[in-house]
Amino acid sequence: MTSSLREKICISLAGLLFMTAIYMVFVYAPTERVMGPIQKIFYFHLSCALVTFLSFFTAFVSAIVYLIKKDLKWDILGAASVEIGLVFTTLVLATGMLWGRPVWNAWWTWDPRLTTSLILWFIYGSYFILRSSVDRQEKRAVFCAVLAIVGFVDVPIVFLSARLWRTIHPVVIRAGSIDMAPAMITTLIVALIAFTCLWGLLLYQRTRTLTLAGRVRLLERQLDGEGI
Amino acid sequence: MSGFWILVRKDLHAEFRKPEAVISMAFFGFLLLVILNLAIPMGAEISPETGAGILWVAITFSSVLGLARTMSREKENCCMDGLLLSPMSAESLFGAKMAVNFTLMLMAELSIIPLFFILYGDTFFHSLPMLVLVVFLANIGFAATGTLFSAITAGTNRNEALLPLLFYPVVIPLISITVKVTAMIFQGAGPVEYSSWLYVMTAYGLIFSGLGFLLLDQVIRE
Amino acid sequence: MADFLAVNNLGKEYEGRRALHKVSFGLQQGDFLSLFGPNGAGKSTLLRIISTLTSAGSGKVEIKGFDLAEEPEAFKMQLGVISHQSLLYGHMTARENLIFYGSLYKVDDPEQRAEELLRIVELYPRRHSRVSRFSRGMCQRLSIARALVNDPSLLLLDEPFSGLDQYASAILTEQLGELRSRARTVIMVTHSLDRGLAAATRVGILAGGRLVYLEERDTIDPSAFEGLYMEYVHGARAA
Repeated sequence: MTSSLREKICISLAGLLFMTAIYMVFVYAPTERVMGPIQKIFYFHLSCALVTFLSFFTAFVSAIVYLIKKDLKWDILGAASVEIGLVFTTLVLATGMLWGRPVWNAWWTWDPRLTTSLILWFIYGSYFILRSSVDRQEKRAVFCAVLAIVGFVDVPIVFLSARLWRTIHPVVIRAGSIDMAPAMITTLIVALIAFTCLWGLLLYQRTRTLTLAGRVRLLERQLDGEGI
Repeated sequence: MSGFWILVRKDLHAEFRKPEAVISMAFFGFLLLVILNLAIPMGAEISPETGAGILWVAITFSSVLGLARTMSREKENCCMDGLLLSPMSAESLFGAKMAVNFTLMLMAELSIIPLFFILYGDTFFHSLPMLVLVVFLANIGFAATGTLFSAITAGTNRNEALLPLLFYPVVIPLISITVKVTAMIFQGAGPVEYSSWLYVMTAYGLIFSGLGFLLLDQVIRE
Repeated sequence: MADFLAVNNLGKEYEGRRALHKVSFGLQQGDFLSLFGPNGAGKSTLLRIISTLTSAGSGKVEIKGFDLAEEPEAFKMQLGVISHQSLLYGHMTARENLIFYGSLYKVDDPEQRAEELLRIVELYPRRHSRVSRFSRGMCQRLSIARALVNDPSLLLLDEPFSGLDQYASAILTEQLGELRSRARTVIMVTHSLDRGLAAATRVGILAGGRLVYLEERDTIDPSAFEGLYMEYVHGARAA
């Protein structure tokens, strides 16, 4: 299967959007007075966090749909989402640490948001350990769906409990008001859109790859002997 | 008698006859209490936070031994199939296994907590009544999560080795809240100060019991 | 007359492969159905679905009008299953195992029922021994007793004679005859054509997930059956 024209257009558009976002972050948006250029990592940090949420939410929904419909394509969508979510959780943690080092003077602090991201990383990391420990496809799909549901339901409790580690995380967006220059807000919105597009593309490609891998395995088994 | 009681009675009967789960839990808990002593500087006074942390690390780490055993007992000779064939519902199966896990944890705690007071000083002893409530709420949460996850790991080819890897990330919030509340109790704080955390613990227990009741049937039936 | 057991359009997929496809049949009370078929034909899957261990992908199963999906408890009360696994707890005694299963099926007097069954399978003297100390043959006999604990009106047998010692298979044969005299329904999956034909009132062949053949036993000439069987199996393979 070669990638169609429409896919090529989508990929080019997302690439263009990404270039725009990078340009805006580094040239268009003003440099923050106190923190200096390091503040610019914030645009990527928040965008990665958004992608993480989108991924885990998609995994949660597809897990529920799988348990109802028992159609393996939802399992594949869930697995692809968790994979992408895990990569972006890692990026959230990495960008957070890069920012925290000069600003807080520490690579790591037990801040609720950081702690939550780290615990999410563990929960969804265990998803792949579980995935690799079950051979039967249907069983694996059910187990992973249950873990995706349990993990997602756990998120608010994780966040609530992580407050026990006292916050020094800056609250940029409070209800009703935003502490940012207008040019920064525009830049942030473009960055968020660019990352959402990237997420959509990654999810599509990854889902397709996993579907094809499943088909290949089925064909191999059929060749081995009448599909038994 | 309902399927729930029959199963609870069978499991507890087996445990009383040969208390392998409780003994290994209590033994490991005791061992952890001793090992964790290494983290404390010589001769230093133990802060309430450290004390609470040590106590709950010992309890939660030892509990995994019992949680895994309760489900894997049904794997021998495919007894789980026998339960699924019987008219007992998956909900009562979950309820029964959760009740058994709760009881096993409680029995292990009955030896771990007194040992904790002996090893780490009876200055915390005044906190016993409220500690009972915290233990009760924490056990519900641990038992519910552990029952659901041990049903999953029993169906994988890595068995019990997988349980801690799945179980701990999900119960971290419960552990951290429990440690915090226990520390406050050790400090002598009044119930008003930590009552909201007790609600969160209750909510955790309810949510995960609910998830278990809903999802167990899918996990154990193909 | 409505069928005692009605299997309707049953389908199941494993890993994108059809394990069962549109299997339908009905049995009357007292019928003994022997199911033959090559490995992977879907025999075990069919039994696992009827015994509620595997969920059906599509279609439905009813016993005495109780739908498997809608009234699982009433459905399961009618069932007894003998499989390769004994489904017995090693750390419990023979008697405790039977009492445990008897109480799950809400048998009136589980103790009495257990002792009655222990006598039937000739394990009464060993009733207080733990199952983990039993020999394989004794386990097999006890698992026959276990399957009969609720006096099932439908008994499902998956290769019951394979691996059974002579003593146990004599007891099983005797019990099957006894169930038949009380108009109990039996489905038996087996590789042994002789054994299957000897006991059956109806005979079916599963191949490639489909029920390709279902006839009354009386209409079959045993000497010609093996040829017939091979013909159907090869026919299904070619299709």
